[in-house]
Amino acid sequence: MATPPETAEMGDQPVSSSAGEADESIRDLTGWRYTLAQIKRDRTARLGWYIISVVSVVAIVTYVDSQLLNYYIADTFWYHPERDAEGTALLPPVGLENSYGAGTWSHPLGTDQRGRDLLVRIVYGTRIAIQVGVVATGLGVIVGTIIGAVSGYYGGWIDDILQRTVETVYAIPFLILVIAIMSAFGRHLWIAIVGVGIVTVPIFARLIRSEVLKVREEEYIEAAKAIGVKDRHILARHIIPNSFAPVLVQGTLQIGVNILIVAGLSFLGFGVQPPTPSWGQILADSRGYMLPNPWFSIFPGIAILVTVMGFNLLGDGLRDALDPRNNG
Amino acid sequence: MLIGIATITFLLVNAMPGDPVRIMLGPGTDQATIDAVQSRYGLDQPLYERYFNYMAGVAQGDLGNSIHYNGVPVTEKILERLPVTLLLVASSFTLAISMAVPLGAIAARRQNKATDHVSRIIALIGVSTPSFWIGLMLIIVFAYQLNVFPSSGLIMPWAHPSDVPQAANRIEVLGSSLYHLVLPTITLGTLQTAAIMRIQRSSMLEVLNRDYITLAQAYGVSSRTVLRKHALRNAQLPVVTIIGIQLTTALGGAVLTETVFSINGMGTLIITAVESQDYPLIMGVTLFFGVIFVVGVLITDLLYAYLDPRITYGGGDH
Repeated sequence: MATPPETAEMGDQPVSSSAGEADESIRDLTGWRYTLAQIKRDRTARLGWYIISVVSVVAIVTYVDSQLLNYYIADTFWYHPERDAEGTALLPPVGLENSYGAGTWSHPLGTDQRGRDLLVRIVYGTRIAIQVGVVATGLGVIVGTIIGAVSGYYGGWIDDILQRTVETVYAIPFLILVIAIMSAFGRHLWIAIVGVGIVTVPIFARLIRSEVLKVREEEYIEAAKAIGVKDRHILARHIIPNSFAPVLVQGTLQIGVNILIVAGLSFLGFGVQPPTPSWGQILADSRGYMLPNPWFSIFPGIAILVTVMGFNLLGDGLRDALDPRNNG
Repeated sequence: MLIGIATITFLLVNAMPGDPVRIMLGPGTDQATIDAVQSRYGLDQPLYERYFNYMAGVAQGDLGNSIHYNGVPVTEKILERLPVTLLLVASSFTLAISMAVPLGAIAARRQNKATDHVSRIIALIGVSTPSFWIGLMLIIVFAYQLNVFPSSGLIMPWAHPSDVPQAANRIEVLGSSLYHLVLPTITLGTLQTAAIMRIQRSSMLEVLNRDYITLAQAYGVSSRTVLRKHALRNAQLPVVTIIGIQLTTALGGAVLTETVFSINGMGTLIITAVESQDYPLIMGVTLFFGVIFVVGVLITDLLYAYLDPRITYGGGDH
């Protein structure tokens, strides 16, 4: 998160002394290479990148195992995340003791109310968070970009209608809108994705629209119009790519926000239905056992916190790297 | 915009599978009873007719009658629950603004010093943590382990002493209310605090780098005065914007907070409404959330004009 202008002035800081040297080496880089070099140099953004990498790999492996292999990997080498186990309910983490027994290394984080291993449930819950977070944000970016670009480029009554619609969706609290959507169309994973995607649309529609309004008046757009380039072409080839930087920043941050929304939905019972593990739903399960086994509530929250923080760190780093004011 | 919200919720609610009357009456009720109840709530009319009836009702302030609560008018039910949620949201915003504005400003003043780093880390954790989890953690620590705050319920400060256990007079009611409010306020307020703090810091940094601040410093104005009189006020515009945006987030967060602390507010009301597929109640509550948002935007606009006298709304178009 340390931005070059800030750090350049503070020569006594350990972060900035290395940054000062790096400034020389990346000055000649342009575009993507410059951004990447900036991110690599930024310690906090790098931490975010590592967190996201680890979480993504876990999400992909657990997705494959749960969807294609029917928990073959988990069941063979570990525990089945969905199958109840006898006599191991509500065990505390390793080294601790509660009224249900003592924690052992066979269940490092303890067990849930059905005797299932908490760690395996949390690990397999990753895929829901990432799947909804990433896909819903992607959906919101695509639809929001189209709406925002059309709205900003054409203006007039098209703009009015689209903006009023977007504002209306925006005025209803996200969580309540998604709950209404899910109760109308069913509590399935893909409806959760579409629902969260819909509440994401206004954010990007507004963002892109304001960017388009800025870019629209540029001379090269006028030049393109003058030589008879089609509107569709101008939008897709010139305007949207030029609005890309803020979308990338907002998109990264939004994945974090959407993971929080999904966790909230699952917590209220509107997300993925049991026994499929998801973080919010493990937390909902744990509510009844906070007195005998508080650890049951602690670990899933840490998983959410770390994951969302990863996206926030990278998003902040990208913002610093892409902000034109920092490039000078 | 409110017409839009009413339309969207009307369409959504009517896309719901199942029949609220059947859910309420339970299985095994004979068809004649079901028909009678359905016609009482107007559910036997075609969709477009119900839509126009509903919109006409909304225009007159009539949101229909709740099915789940046996025909109690929706407005009555909402007005009963609304103060609870508003109290919760108001107290969390009070916490957030009173913490975040000074902390953000101090962090900006001491940029890249220890204070700044600590407050940035706290803010980062704040925006990354699910609010309901904070609530669960607070309950575990302060209600179950230390036993200092209650884990559920909320008492309104204006409640009658006879309705409040262990309260003899109005002062004790107020005390009990504050006592119950502490944990839910922290739960709901953390995200707001963190979000406002981040914006306050970056906005303050931007203002502090302006020429007129350098000029003021060059004239020998003390740094405290520069900060308070010149920088803080001008840095507030983006902060006001984010407070307006945070309002919808907070209303959504209130649903989770009320669930965690078993508070009977608007949030738990809409959950009940959705679970029982109470169409009029769902539409009414959603519409009210929209109204609160519109009022919030209005206040934001007025604050803008107060903070920056150059902004006027005389033209009507902004």
